[in-house]
Amino acid sequence: MPDRVAIVGIGQTYHRSRRDDVSLPEMVGEAVRAALADAQLSAKDIEFFIFSNMEAFEGIYLPEHGMIAEVGATGKPGLKVTGGGTTGAEAVGAGCHMISAGLYEITMVVSWQKHDCGDATAGISAAAVPTHAKGMVVGAVSEFAKQALSYMKESGAREEHAAMVRLKADRGACRNPYSHLKLGLKSVDEVLQSPYLVWPIRLYDFCPQSCGACALILASENRARRIHRKPVWIVDFEVVHQEMFRAGSFGDPTGTETYSQDIASERLYKRNGITNVRKEIDLAEIYEPSTWEEMSLYEHFHFCEKNEGWKLIERGATEIEGEFPVNCSGGVLATNPIGATPVIRIAEAALQIRGDAGEHQATRDVKTALATALGGPNWTAMFLLKRSL
Amino acid sequence: MAQKSSTKKGKEPEYIRVKFDFPRRYRWSTGKYLGKLYAEAKENKKLVANRCPKCRGILIHPPTPVCPWCKVDTGWDWVELPQTGRIFQYTYQVYPLWDPHEGGKYSNPHPPAIILLDNGVYLRHRLEETDTKKLREGMRVQAVWEEDYEKRGQGLQDILYFRIIEE
Repeated sequence: MPDRVAIVGIGQTYHRSRRDDVSLPEMVGEAVRAALADAQLSAKDIEFFIFSNMEAFEGIYLPEHGMIAEVGATGKPGLKVTGGGTTGAEAVGAGCHMISAGLYEITMVVSWQKHDCGDATAGISAAAVPTHAKGMVVGAVSEFAKQALSYMKESGAREEHAAMVRLKADRGACRNPYSHLKLGLKSVDEVLQSPYLVWPIRLYDFCPQSCGACALILASENRARRIHRKPVWIVDFEVVHQEMFRAGSFGDPTGTETYSQDIASERLYKRNGITNVRKEIDLAEIYEPSTWEEMSLYEHFHFCEKNEGWKLIERGATEIEGEFPVNCSGGVLATNPIGATPVIRIAEAALQIRGDAGEHQATRDVKTALATALGGPNWTAMFLLKRSL
Repeated sequence: MAQKSSTKKGKEPEYIRVKFDFPRRYRWSTGKYLGKLYAEAKENKKLVANRCPKCRGILIHPPTPVCPWCKVDTGWDWVELPQTGRIFQYTYQVYPLWDPHEGGKYSNPHPPAIILLDNGVYLRHRLEETDTKKLREGMRVQAVWEEDYEKRGQGLQDILYFRIIEE
């Protein structure tokens, strides 16, 4: 039977638009040191390293090679994982696999993005495959604009509901010491005054480009209980990919595609005997690049019935104080260092289970949490975390 | 960027700007399947796709040797796609993006759209009409090709945009 895996160390940097004060390795080092301190381990204790970022957004190849010394990986085995927006989640998956296969007992996931080196949207459009993607890709905003139009048309949600999603995110972000955008927004009207980027996506409907890093230390069952008094168990995870373009856009209404969210959640819930998500899971940290996408993801992850995602928002069900809190941290709408973003989802879900989220700790007791990642054209990763096995 | 002086509270740090160039030259091959699309567009102003022998599904852009759903070799079965259809969905850019090639702000005035071609295939492209007040879903559109043979050879981009036509 494969060995079971727990998160025993969590570290992240604070997140900002620019980190001119540090180099890429120095910034990553901040998260690594924080994770080691949390686990009360030294870099010497880490047996295997997994590095993860979104390729090309810093404009260089092998960015991890400049940080081997800084993270303490010299002379150690490791690998690099890259898979678009879901990249950090796949890195955590790889860290779990190394342990459950019995190869190592302690692994570390090191993830980051330093957006002040370049520009993500430019990276997406400029680094697109020249032979068939050039001119067809105008960055993520345009894709999520189409998703928003489809969601609006199908579900009956209005721009006010998207604004409520930003207000919820902002309330969480203002309580989270690590979050990037703390806007202090007070009303729906204030959000609706923000300008359109790509119709109907407003500036406040979309995630920022953040500089930041997140590190997680994973350990086998045998070691986990001795390292941390509150290990958080990764009981299961699922990753689903599709090919670019053929997958359609996010929530593409063309009806010819199967959404990766649907397949991933069906598999994960079935394996774990989950039939009523909001009853059997206590909280979720989801990867929501836009306000509209958050409402759509509620439905695809079966938090509610089809076309009812906006009703959960309207009712406040997913607020920090709500029955099923989603993204107490402020989520991706507030903080988005892309390579690290999925790792932060898992880290924040784990902090909630530990009860260590501080000001943005959910009101209800969190024993089971879901963390998800989204990337590329509709890729999905889902992690199920628990306080006890 | 290197920091020249240490940051005092309330004072912006001074930076030494380190200059470097990023010359990038790449050469990409279309390969056999995508090459067929390029050739038909350049030589004949035709839009083509290939078909799966098992599910008979049309594998719209890019053409591929393996059906993603059936996971079988597609062989060499090509169909010509109609050049007329309807606007299924469109959006438009309000805020210009950063263009890394030119180093400046960039905004394509032509609204990105999903076109439902007359044979039921969805194609992602752009619309000619830039006055978005004149646009609505369901309008009939037709592909407009680059007429200069020398300028063609850009694959799907040989279609400049889709133009609204009478019902």
